[in-house]
Amino acid sequence: MGVAFVAHCLLNQNSKVGDGAHCAGVYSPIVDALRQKGWRIEQMPCPELAFSGLNRFWGVREQYDTAAYRRHCARLAAAVAEAIGVRTGQGEEIVLIGVEGSPSMGVTITSSDPTRGGRPEWPEGTLEHVNGEGIYIEELRKALESRGLRFPRVAGETHATEGHDENAERAALEATLDRQS
Amino acid sequence: MKRDKRSFRVAMMADRYVNAAPGGVDGVAAAEEAGWGVLQLPPDDYPADLVKLLLFEVAEQAEEFSRRGYDLVLVGRHDGLAEALAGVGLPLPDSSMPLTTAELVDFFGARPIPRAMAELGELAGD
Repeated sequence: MGVAFVAHCLLNQNSKVGDGAHCAGVYSPIVDALRQKGWRIEQMPCPELAFSGLNRFWGVREQYDTAAYRRHCARLAAAVAEAIGVRTGQGEEIVLIGVEGSPSMGVTITSSDPTRGGRPEWPEGTLEHVNGEGIYIEELRKALESRGLRFPRVAGETHATEGHDENAERAALEATLDRQS
Repeated sequence: MKRDKRSFRVAMMADRYVNAAPGGVDGVAAAEEAGWGVLQLPPDDYPADLVKLLLFEVAEQAEEFSRRGYDLVLVGRHDGLAEALAGVGLPLPDSSMPLTTAELVDFFGARPIPRAMAELGELAGD
């Protein structure tokens, strides 16, 4: 089939921001679908884990979008782009599996709220979700482009998005996997 | 911090257990069954320079799990991992070289309660 470069937390929910883990460890709805369809799995580093730690707050793009965090993401992305280059050179199909709604790992939906900062006081809700890529995904796009590599097709885990439906998530993933590049 | 569904248990796992050959030890299935997360080690066929970069990132992430009291183990082996972990002040953790998937499930199941979980007042098996 090919190689799926997956967000770290899809194999390890322990990396999630507090109150964000949907299961004990492996997020089976995505991982099992990849395995059943014969895709090789390669785990990308979690950009937020090493930078902000396990006790980090939930954040939006504007809070993470610092020069230092971009340099961190660019460093991670450079290694992953090299890995994608190796697999592409071997003739493998590549798919990128991110996390929708994430300020770092969103592939088509990220989170944005320019007013957030200081003492937390915003209400519960998911109004911060907007179309777009997370910061790490943007840096990965740049790293691939700088190496003359095509940005792969993408799918995302959708737990954090409004109206999440596991069947719809899997159908979207399978449609992405089955699509000819 | 509010408790969620995480297990506080992470296995650094050699690629051959993550992408198991047919009939081989299926590390992902074992982790799913036992409720462990997986921190995948670089595939053996990558160039040495790339493996070194990826091991550095593995070590940085392992360091954060370790310092926060998550249980961290090694499944399989990887050249260069000990040096990468030493770079962040970590020794090689307890490890398993399982011959079967069931053996790996047993290894996971025999681990003590992670310190992070104990600190949250949880009991084993919750």
